[in-house]
Amino acid sequence: MVQPRFDAFQAIADPSRRKMLRLLSKDSLTINSLGEHFDMSRPAVSKHIKILHAAGFISIQDIGRERHCTLKPDGFHHLQEWIDYFDKFWVSKLKKLETLLHNKSLNKK
Amino acid sequence: MTKSIHHKFFLPHPPEMVWDYLTNAELMAQWLMKNDFQPIVGHDFQFKTNPIPSLDIDGIMYCTVLEIVPLKKLSYSWKAGPGGGKITLDTLVVWKLQPNEKGTDLLLEHSGFSEIENLKLYEGMTEGWSKNVQKIADRLNAKYGTAQI
Repeated sequence: MVQPRFDAFQAIADPSRRKMLRLLSKDSLTINSLGEHFDMSRPAVSKHIKILHAAGFISIQDIGRERHCTLKPDGFHHLQEWIDYFDKFWVSKLKKLETLLHNKSLNKK
Repeated sequence: MTKSIHHKFFLPHPPEMVWDYLTNAELMAQWLMKNDFQPIVGHDFQFKTNPIPSLDIDGIMYCTVLEIVPLKKLSYSWKAGPGGGKITLDTLVVWKLQPNEKGTDLLLEHSGFSEIENLKLYEGMTEGWSKNVQKIADRLNAKYGTAQI
């Protein structure tokens, strides 16, 4: 299965979706019972679920007539990838700055 | 999980010299990226680098200068995306300079990864999701016997 690798940040930029993830971090829930926590229409809930699903934050399992949502690590891993990337990025840049300043002060002497 | 990036670098040089390299576009380009930075609060500028396909970033960082305290503090927003003006990363970069006897401590904080800080669920994340997977497996088992997921 292809994991969409984009929009993880946008997925969690929305307060309702963050609340959904918080609720799901305690227990897996059906879309219906998840919707009970929100003052929004069923299609609106479904739309949020779809976005979370596409960004790899949840998996959806059909059990009987119910659709169960469960938290999934992929989306979170993706967020971590971004942070790790910039972490390394800054270290390499700062080292460059260190060298540059060092050479500059040597030239002065 | 790490929620923001912190680095502290000691540089055996006076703050004035370090500050120049943080706020002069030409000097910044020498170690960071090409840019059109100006040390003016509210100034919009860009850093340009090669595209980063693994992160779906087109290589342009869209920034706005937010705070300047000469020789002490500099902050700017740091946004990026896959192109066409779409922003998927909206973060904040803060530089602080602390002079000491031997030079300057340069502190960097890169934060605001779309409110990850506010997303408390990360703490229990690993445990949380594996528990959930187990729960759903239990439910499936209860319903269908030894169903596999």
